[in-house]
Amino acid sequence: MSIDATGAVRVLEVSVVTPEASVLETPAQFVALPLFDGELGIAPGHAPMIGRLGYGEMRVTEGDRVRKFFVEGGFVQVTGNNVSVLTNRAIPAEQIELDKAEELLAAALSRPARGEDELAIRDRNVAQARAQRRIAFARG
Amino acid sequence: MANARALDKRRKSIRNIRKITRTMELIATARFKQAMDRASAATAFTDRMTRLVADLASTGLEVSHPLLEEREQPQNAVLLVLTSNRGLCGGYNGNVLRLATERRSELVAEVPNTRLEISGKRGVSYMKYREIPIDETFTHFEDKPTFDEVDVLASRFLDDFVVGKLDRLDVAYTRFLSSARQQATVETLLPLGSLGEEEAGGGSGNTMYEFLPSAQSILEEVVPTSFKVKLFKCFLDAAVSEQIARMVAMKSATENADEIIRNLSMTYNRARQSQITGELLEVMGGVEALKN
Repeated sequence: MSIDATGAVRVLEVSVVTPEASVLETPAQFVALPLFDGELGIAPGHAPMIGRLGYGEMRVTEGDRVRKFFVEGGFVQVTGNNVSVLTNRAIPAEQIELDKAEELLAAALSRPARGEDELAIRDRNVAQARAQRRIAFARG
Repeated sequence: MANARALDKRRKSIRNIRKITRTMELIATARFKQAMDRASAATAFTDRMTRLVADLASTGLEVSHPLLEEREQPQNAVLLVLTSNRGLCGGYNGNVLRLATERRSELVAEVPNTRLEISGKRGVSYMKYREIPIDETFTHFEDKPTFDEVDVLASRFLDDFVVGKLDRLDVAYTRFLSSARQQATVETLLPLGSLGEEEAGGGSGNTMYEFLPSAQSILEEVVPTSFKVKLFKCFLDAAVSEQIARMVAMKSATENADEIIRNLSMTYNRARQSQITGELLEVMGGVEALKN
């Protein structure tokens, strides 16, 4: 828990929304997010920022509890101590299954791709599947 | 005077109809609430999206993107019509389809290659009856369209638009204004026109944002996402409006049934009474005849 110069406890207000639902709305001490080129950690007092998300694991630390989600693209906006994550999908890490992720990866890799556009789509699918697999692996 | 037994039979069958319409009304009410919750969740997403765009715009970035630009000589257009799979929902489908056929004839006149895509069995059978050729149909969108399902469609439209196989996309659907007002509309979703930054108003003022990787690259991602969400919102609106339309239609059907039952009961009672009177008279006539 971080305490600022005036002695007040500082927390982040994290909200994760997808087009279908508000997934998470919670105070947190720390958030780790997968940006397009690597992981980004946000602690209270972070500078205002807008970033593009990649595929991967988001970790929200709240007291002793760490919640993990798989997020798929989107954006993050940090203003003051508000962190809003806009993503197409946010799935709790427990619900990601290794077999399914492997299947996805195999399907993505075996899909033929002609031309630059299709290659880009294939790369995207492969990256998504690999990110899911990583999460499932890390869990056990 | 009609015979009493026939009246009673009719009354019974109307009671059965009333049971059905009443149940459908209740089901529609329950589904409406669910659909409404989903729609408001989507609104939360779009609100944040507009705020993000407003913040992007306030950095003085030139908002330009291929998806926002109007094509000068549109060659290919798609009209997507969202109707329901099921009937018994009053004027819901009729209103959308009327507007859609109007827009279709306008489009055909303007754009050489116009395709018609229809979601919902009702719309499909309407167009078939009118012998209007349909290029693509979807019947898998029920009252809970998921983002993944819509994403497939949206990605196809986006890809076609980028490579130039599509110059214009119009969507005809029922827009949800409030629970008392829904309106059939036709909207042009591609090109997007504006991102709606003018109504967002300020956002969070003059915060200096750090952009990762850059404002331009974020904009490039924001535009397609906001198109997808807009299309998704159309589907959600259509689903909510369908449930409301069904609720209202079934409510008035139930009320009508009540009215008919009341009237039939009255005529039935009268018929029964006059039948009894007639029988009594006959008996008394018989007694009188025996006396003499």
